[in-house]
Amino acid sequence: MKFLPFIFKHLKRNWIRTGSTVLAMSLCIFLFCTLQTVLHEINGLLEGTSANRLITRHGVSLVFNLPLSYAGRIASVPGVKGVATTAWFGGSLPAEKEGAAEKDTKADEGAEATTDWSKFIPSMAVDSEKFFPLYPEYQINPEEFRQYMSDLQGAMIGRKLADKYKWKIGDRFFLESFIPPYRKSSGPFEFIVRGIIDTDPVKHPKTDTNLMYFHYKYLYEGTGQRIGAGTYTIGIDDPEQAGTISKAVDALFENSDAQTHTETEQAFAAGFISMAGNLALLLNTIGLAVSFTILLVTANTMSMAVRERRTEIAVLKTLGFGSAQVMGLIVAEALLLGALGGALGILGSRGLILFLTKAPVIKDVLAGMGLSSLALPPPVAAMGFAVALLLGLAAGFVPAYNAYRSKITDMLRTV
Amino acid sequence: MSAQLHPVARTADALVDVRNVVKTYKRDTQELTVLNGISLQVPEGEFVALMGPSGSGKTTLLNLVAGIDRPTSGQVIVAGTDVAKLSESELARWRSRSVGFIFQFYNLIPVLSAVENVELPLLLTSLGKRERRDRALTALKVVGLADRSSHYPRQLSGGQEQRVAIARAIVADPKVLVADEPTGDLDSRSAEEILALMETLNREFKKTIVMVTHDPRAADRAHTQHHLEKGVLAG
Repeated sequence: MKFLPFIFKHLKRNWIRTGSTVLAMSLCIFLFCTLQTVLHEINGLLEGTSANRLITRHGVSLVFNLPLSYAGRIASVPGVKGVATTAWFGGSLPAEKEGAAEKDTKADEGAEATTDWSKFIPSMAVDSEKFFPLYPEYQINPEEFRQYMSDLQGAMIGRKLADKYKWKIGDRFFLESFIPPYRKSSGPFEFIVRGIIDTDPVKHPKTDTNLMYFHYKYLYEGTGQRIGAGTYTIGIDDPEQAGTISKAVDALFENSDAQTHTETEQAFAAGFISMAGNLALLLNTIGLAVSFTILLVTANTMSMAVRERRTEIAVLKTLGFGSAQVMGLIVAEALLLGALGGALGILGSRGLILFLTKAPVIKDVLAGMGLSSLALPPPVAAMGFAVALLLGLAAGFVPAYNAYRSKITDMLRTV
Repeated sequence: MSAQLHPVARTADALVDVRNVVKTYKRDTQELTVLNGISLQVPEGEFVALMGPSGSGKTTLLNLVAGIDRPTSGQVIVAGTDVAKLSESELARWRSRSVGFIFQFYNLIPVLSAVENVELPLLLTSLGKRERRDRALTALKVVGLADRSSHYPRQLSGGQEQRVAIARAIVADPKVLVADEPTGDLDSRSAEEILALMETLNREFKKTIVMVTHDPRAADRAHTQHHLEKGVLAG
């Protein structure tokens, strides 16, 4: 500890160089933490999926609907225990009108208000009778469910979403889909909160409740019975048979106009999130490239710092500092650079994530991707800090070792 | 292992005992003999000047006495310790306790104040912060710079920097002070002050001083002068 002020004074000596190195290091850790947080969240989302569920979508793209008649044929495939028609609605709340009363005028509001796309609600129309039995991780009050089933406008709201909008049973609200075929000419769909979906945070910590479900029939009838199924959610008995069942389902429609693509819920979610390819690989490659660049920058800084202090190192050794002590001082200096950069990077990452989750529009886009609870997890922050220290150590080791090996007389002579 | 594990019987009254020392350097395939069988005894409390032309080996001899280099053969015994037999870490510890080194170009650490520079050798001791600082201030008082303790090297004149360097050399109370042309970078007035200070340290604080110099006036302040020529003592 008594050497710490000495190390700090050396870092302050060329503060521009030290500052820019710390900034470079912090940028690296900032990127690392932010990218890893996104990956962590996505992994959490994928962990929230079940191996007992398959998703069937249109073989060409998720954009196209499938015929409703497919449900019965899929149900006949051996190993399938249930099939539910589903359609991603992706609705938004209407914009609040200036001077409008909050609750009493909601019926009028639904007909006249424009849509506020910043209030995006992850919502899905489902064949409720068949859908909810496939999701045993949802905890639903039986009485609430009964009320929901008996009301075509009923909505089951996830706990997180309910808390966000302070919705309670009986509340009414309007949603309009951003998907044109799911809009009706008379205005947005009106919903009534009939039940709240909870989950067991211990058994299913990754299950997202920032979403809502409503009756597919309501959507179907509201749109003039012109829509098909967005996807089919299939429940299976044996996860090990997922591949076989997927192939069997797709084989059923091989020669039809609307071929299907069936995959596990996890693969579907991963594909839905990454869309353009292997997101994890992309993010990790970016992180690695940046880290390597920063390693070179920091190593160069440390080499320069040590090279211009050759006389001082010789003086320290002459005064009685051992080679290991001198090496330790240089390594400690590099570690301190890493620690400062790491701390700054973590703070920056935390700040950005906080901003994204609060910023209008962006927070709703994230919510739509199931990333509403995006936050820098402590293990990621700890890993980021460890990476910063490791980079500092790697950058400082070679110059420190050179100082360790150098002879006093040689260092004094080369001045 | 401590330095005390390599005690050697020293020649009567000789604090520094250089016995038949040879020092050679290798430059590519060539071998260059810088010191060729030198023997020198410096009694305790003595002030010795080593003189000689450039390349005569006087700085090399000084480095051997200070324990920052090792002889190729022969013995360098300082205060009863055979310096050549110590390991690197033992030698470093020995240097911190037994030798104070004064450089020609002062070699103060520019980011540290005068008192922090003087305190530097004490960081290797078990002394507490307060005691380290008190001792450093005392050393600065001895060299007449107590009022400049918070000044940085860039704020001091050459003579003042050298006095801070001398304070750093004496702060751990070493037995021997070695000085490599301590007045070589100073004007005549500052040089005179430094030499007077070294005389005081020798006379009043009983420090044994080995000084390398080109300057005959500086050498005249020493009790004994030795001349080196081509790696051997000429007188």
